[in-house]
Amino acid sequence: MVVVAELFPRGVNELFDWPAMFGKDTLLAFNKTALMALISTAICIAIFGLGSRKRALVPVGIQNVAETGYEAVETNISVEVMGAEGRKWTPFLLTLFFFIFFMNIFEVIPPIQFPATSRFAIPVFLALQTWLIFIVVGFIKQGPFYILKAITPPGVPKLLYILVIPIELVSIFLIRPFSLAVRLFANMVAGHVLLTVFAVMCWELSKMDSGTYQLAFIPLPFFGLMAMVGFEILVALLQAYIFTILTAVYVGEAIHPEH
Amino acid sequence: MRIRKLLAPLLVAGFLVAAVPGVAGASGGEELTHCVTELAEKIESGKVHGDSAVNSALDDCRKSPNFLLPPLPEIIWTAIAFAIVAGALMKFALPALKKGMKAREDRIRDDLTAAENARVEAETLRADYELRLAEARGEAGRIVEEARQSADDVRRDLVARAEADAAELRSRAADDVRLATERAMADLHTRVAELSVELAEKVVERNLDRDTQIALIENYINEVGSR
Repeated sequence: MVVVAELFPRGVNELFDWPAMFGKDTLLAFNKTALMALISTAICIAIFGLGSRKRALVPVGIQNVAETGYEAVETNISVEVMGAEGRKWTPFLLTLFFFIFFMNIFEVIPPIQFPATSRFAIPVFLALQTWLIFIVVGFIKQGPFYILKAITPPGVPKLLYILVIPIELVSIFLIRPFSLAVRLFANMVAGHVLLTVFAVMCWELSKMDSGTYQLAFIPLPFFGLMAMVGFEILVALLQAYIFTILTAVYVGEAIHPEH
Repeated sequence: MRIRKLLAPLLVAGFLVAAVPGVAGASGGEELTHCVTELAEKIESGKVHGDSAVNSALDDCRKSPNFLLPPLPEIIWTAIAFAIVAGALMKFALPALKKGMKAREDRIRDDLTAAENARVEAETLRADYELRLAEARGEAGRIVEEARQSADDVRRDLVARAEADAAELRSRAADDVRLATERAMADLHTRVAELSVELAEKVVERNLDRDTQIALIENYINEVGSR
């Protein structure tokens, strides 16, 4: 920890603080996080753009990746959560899933090794977007009394509404977006910090000249680092999946409150 | 070639990101130096004075922006990036992808239906052929049975005819034997009678005429024969 502190004298914030490349102190200050968001965009467009151009009867290569991704999201998220009507939401959910996944997976890709989603701005934007979408969908599908319907679940004794209404109001319209954003953000921050700690331990142990004592301990952080890289790949995939499936659940509830 | 096309944007992306300070916090040292330099200038110019003020300013220099606060520019850039990817994918790429998948699904369904129809048709033809084969086998069996029956009839007829011929031959042979025997017996009677007469003539000479002797001898022979 001392070594980490020496490497990052301004604290853990320094691991996530990227200076603007241009437009500093403006609303369009462009830093590494913004660049990674745009690169994720480019990768998504490249995969699905190239994949959709091919019309082979037996899909191979990029077409296979695109079609498998589409079917996976449609089968496991859209239809699974929202029923047959969920098919219409597949494009949005697929975009969300792959956009988040590529920004997460940068965490383990040399030389980038930084998950863009560990910048709070990105989960916050995506969570607010989900929040806005399910509210708008709720009003469209359930009419002007959507919020009232959402916070007064049927079958609850009238007297209990005194407790239920504030709980539902807070949980649906405040905690949902907050938990969405914090879950993704916290997982990616934790993963990035862990990888950094293991990597710095390896690096510093290899630099020390005090004999075989340190060298004997290098395998511990090294294998820890390797295990964590594998684990973070899983986390990157899982967090993208969780964010997307929760979005589907929230939108599905707004469409069909009885579910 | 496809892999190269896919790898190219990834490599470009990697180098672009790496072009930005490559290690997390690489910019931190520079900013700290810049902040401390500015602080020193402020102390020299008297803008900051006193130990507590200097320490406080140094602490501020050590602090980087709190990473729990979402910077507005990053939210804006994320919104722009998501709008671009959502627009491109939802407007162009995914409908085309879905259309291609639907076309393939339809084609496979049609092929499967055609294959199922062909299978049913083949099954019907096979059943028809099997029915015809069974009929042909039945017909062949019937023909063979008829042939066997005819052969049996012919065999029986031939055997019966042969047996009848044999019986007739046996009967004829028996008749022939009987006639021959009778004839032989008659000849024998005659001869014996003649011999007896001759003998008797020789014995008694003229006592009896020939016809009487013959009658006498035949009576005798008949008596002997009836015994």
